[in-house]
Amino acid sequence: MTPGHAGPAVTPDTLGIDAFGGADPIFAIADDVFAAMIDGEPGHLRTWDGEQPAVEDEMHAWVDVDGAAPGRVLLTTERDTATRITRALLMMDAGESVSDEDFRDALGEVANVVGGNVKALVPDPGALSLPQVTHEAPALDPSSLLYELPLDWRGAFLRISLWQLPTT
Amino acid sequence: MRALVIDDSRTMRRIITGVLAPLGFETIEAADGRQALDVLEAGTEVDLACIDWNMPVMNGLDFVTAVRENREWKDVTLMMITTESETSQIVRALAAGAHEYVIKPFTPEAIRDKLQLLGLVAYEEIA
Repeated sequence: MTPGHAGPAVTPDTLGIDAFGGADPIFAIADDVFAAMIDGEPGHLRTWDGEQPAVEDEMHAWVDVDGAAPGRVLLTTERDTATRITRALLMMDAGESVSDEDFRDALGEVANVVGGNVKALVPDPGALSLPQVTHEAPALDPSSLLYELPLDWRGAFLRISLWQLPTT
Repeated sequence: MRALVIDDSRTMRRIITGVLAPLGFETIEAADGRQALDVLEAGTEVDLACIDWNMPVMNGLDFVTAVRENREWKDVTLMMITTESETSQIVRALAAGAHEYVIKPFTPEAIRDKLQLLGLVAYEEIA
């Protein structure tokens, strides 16, 4: 399943997030994560300009936030982009091979750090799950999409989306 | 100086080790709190433990509590490095006995600054 724009039009404001002076708090979190952990400097992440491209060879990494309003923070990108992220995160040479274990661990940790910081924006959050990384998109009800942020990292497309999960 | 780096993510352990090595730390890695306790129980002397919060088997908060309950390990400096950024969580960790708290994502400079505050890394001389 590819998240689209069919979900409710929920913005950071309607999520109750207004402490960022009008800036998108999810972008601010992602920007911090990429600047500190991946690029070593700010300025390489921006919002995607234009229509979202089809994502080939998708990889998905996510964490769930437990609590009164459980949710999922999902990072979606192409495998090639995820491999580039892994190389940058681990400061590997361009030609150095990325093991599947490194790749899954690195992408999961990016989702974990983004998700942990998103959790801090949620009123009365519960525990953060351990990250999951899959090739197949997780089964989610399209109507549970809360927010979607298409991003451009060094020319590559990736997407952060927030999903509401059913309460148990 | 020897540091115990406790995180279930190999990636994060590698990043933290990469930050600590130039500061003069030899590092030992553990993938969860239980593994880290095994290292301490084996008698390995450690000056610093860098501890993630959310880990399988034994989480970071339980590890901090366990270390603080054993006087043999009273000299180990405990620094949480975690995505848990709510004030309530920071208070819980400090109350359990953590000395410092770093929120991911972090820069190498942020870790160095905390270690300077803790007296584990010397301040650079000002020319």
